[in-house]
Amino acid sequence: MGYISQYEYYDNNGNSPNSANWGSYQYVSLEDIVNNFMLMYQGNHELINNINRYQILFFAKRAIQELNYDALKEVKVLEYPIGSDLKLFLPSDYVNWVRISAEVNGVLFSLSENFQVNFATAYLQGQNGQLLYDQNGNVLSPQYSELDLGRINNTAPSLYTNPLSPYNGQYGWCIDDVWYFRWGIGGAFGANTETANVNPTFSIDKQSGVINFSSNMSGLLCVIEYISDGMENGNDGAVKVNKLFEDYIYAAIRYSILNNRFGVQEYIINRARKDRRALLMNAKIRLSNIHPGRLLMAMRGRDKWIK
Amino acid sequence: MINEIRNAVLAIVNKNNYGYITPADFNLYAEQAQLSIFEDYFQSYNNQISRENARTLGTGYANLRQITEEVIDTFSMVQSLSQYAASTFSIPPDCYLMINVLANGKTAEKVSLNRINQLLASNLTAPSVIYPAYVVSGGLQGTTPPPQVLVQRITMYPTSIISGVTLQYIRYPRLPKWTWLNVGVNGDPVFNSSAADYIDFELPETDSPLLISKILQYAGISIREADVYKLGATDDTAEYQKDRS
Repeated sequence: MGYISQYEYYDNNGNSPNSANWGSYQYVSLEDIVNNFMLMYQGNHELINNINRYQILFFAKRAIQELNYDALKEVKVLEYPIGSDLKLFLPSDYVNWVRISAEVNGVLFSLSENFQVNFATAYLQGQNGQLLYDQNGNVLSPQYSELDLGRINNTAPSLYTNPLSPYNGQYGWCIDDVWYFRWGIGGAFGANTETANVNPTFSIDKQSGVINFSSNMSGLLCVIEYISDGMENGNDGAVKVNKLFEDYIYAAIRYSILNNRFGVQEYIINRARKDRRALLMNAKIRLSNIHPGRLLMAMRGRDKWIK
Repeated sequence: MINEIRNAVLAIVNKNNYGYITPADFNLYAEQAQLSIFEDYFQSYNNQISRENARTLGTGYANLRQITEEVIDTFSMVQSLSQYAASTFSIPPDCYLMINVLANGKTAEKVSLNRINQLLASNLTAPSVIYPAYVVSGGLQGTTPPPQVLVQRITMYPTSIISGVTLQYIRYPRLPKWTWLNVGVNGDPVFNSSAADYIDFELPETDSPLLISKILQYAGISIREADVYKLGATDDTAEYQKDRS
């Protein structure tokens, strides 16, 4: 795509939404990348010739995906109210999470992941313990497993943390804002520090595509920050990459093609591999945005008195 | 150009009273000769690229690739394709080589028939409006009788592309036709370049010697004169060698 006028940039030529092109200058589109590669790196006198465009498209997309997983800081944010089922469906373009927070009175509290399994799939059994099947031969499952019910109904004990209380670090049940414990006073040795947090916790059920929260998340607003693979739900026209990575994408395509071709000398492949690696490091350094202004802001805190 | 070539051919053939070539025969030989030379251009182009990569081809006046390219470019055409059915379009009958297929301004990529199903099933590279693809297939046109004609068609992917398809292609040269008006005083037909069906050779003037050689070959076979055939063939081989040395 060629350069656009300032009117198109700021006001989208009067079309709606007028914000469509804001910030677009920092990106190069996938279409441009493929076109430029076909024009500049592929031909009768280049290292690569007689290549199909779909191969270039494939390697370009793979390079963009890898960048999104690894180097880019293109974090997407989604907010979602959590209902009584304590579930959040993973966003349609979700690949991995960065941070999950609960919004309480306008403040975001980061939640910690609970690695203890608190969800499961259950099988229905008959009176004699035999499994029950449907007409297609699939085993029957209840809507919720006992683990799920324990979490949803808050029948599973939770860790109570309050340093000023003698019950600090004990497992109990919080019902209608009142905590109940199994015993009067005593230390709960070996507290699970993973979940020793007053905020709700979550665990991710990747197979089911949901995030399960602890019971105290019910009714709160969840804010999930996550990374995608940059494929924009298959909309090729919307796929783009920061210009700082443009050269890296070309190098990655070049290396992938040469590495898979028959009869290419090893020194040429090695050259392409080194090129790709160096450009990735370059781009990461560029994107880290270390400049004096930022360092100065951090250094200003050095004289702060800590009481 | 066609009249000069015919005169040259007749002059060579008649010098030793080998025989006479009728206008109809000449047109047949001219057609074959032009097609043969036209196809050789693509072979030459390929050889010149190899030579260029081997650094045995120069630039400027020595840029033979450019000369060949310019000749081939004179046969380039752009045409909107007519829809045959749904996303299938008919290729013009004079198409020799498809250069680009554009679907609503986006370049479509040719995909082999044995690859298209895999491409359609691909999650990352399935054809889209931005990256369209097409496959070439054959088909029969017309009803029997008269006999059906084999035609080329292309099917666009995604199949939502049902219009706005343009083809940039290299066409076959038109069939040359030496036309004549009436018989002259010595019994020869007189050349008439104003006839409605007159078509000159479409190759550059520099191909005249090659055209004459090739026509002589065909004429030599026709009039059963081995010497005429040999003369044409020797000339032809010399030109071929020169092109590749």
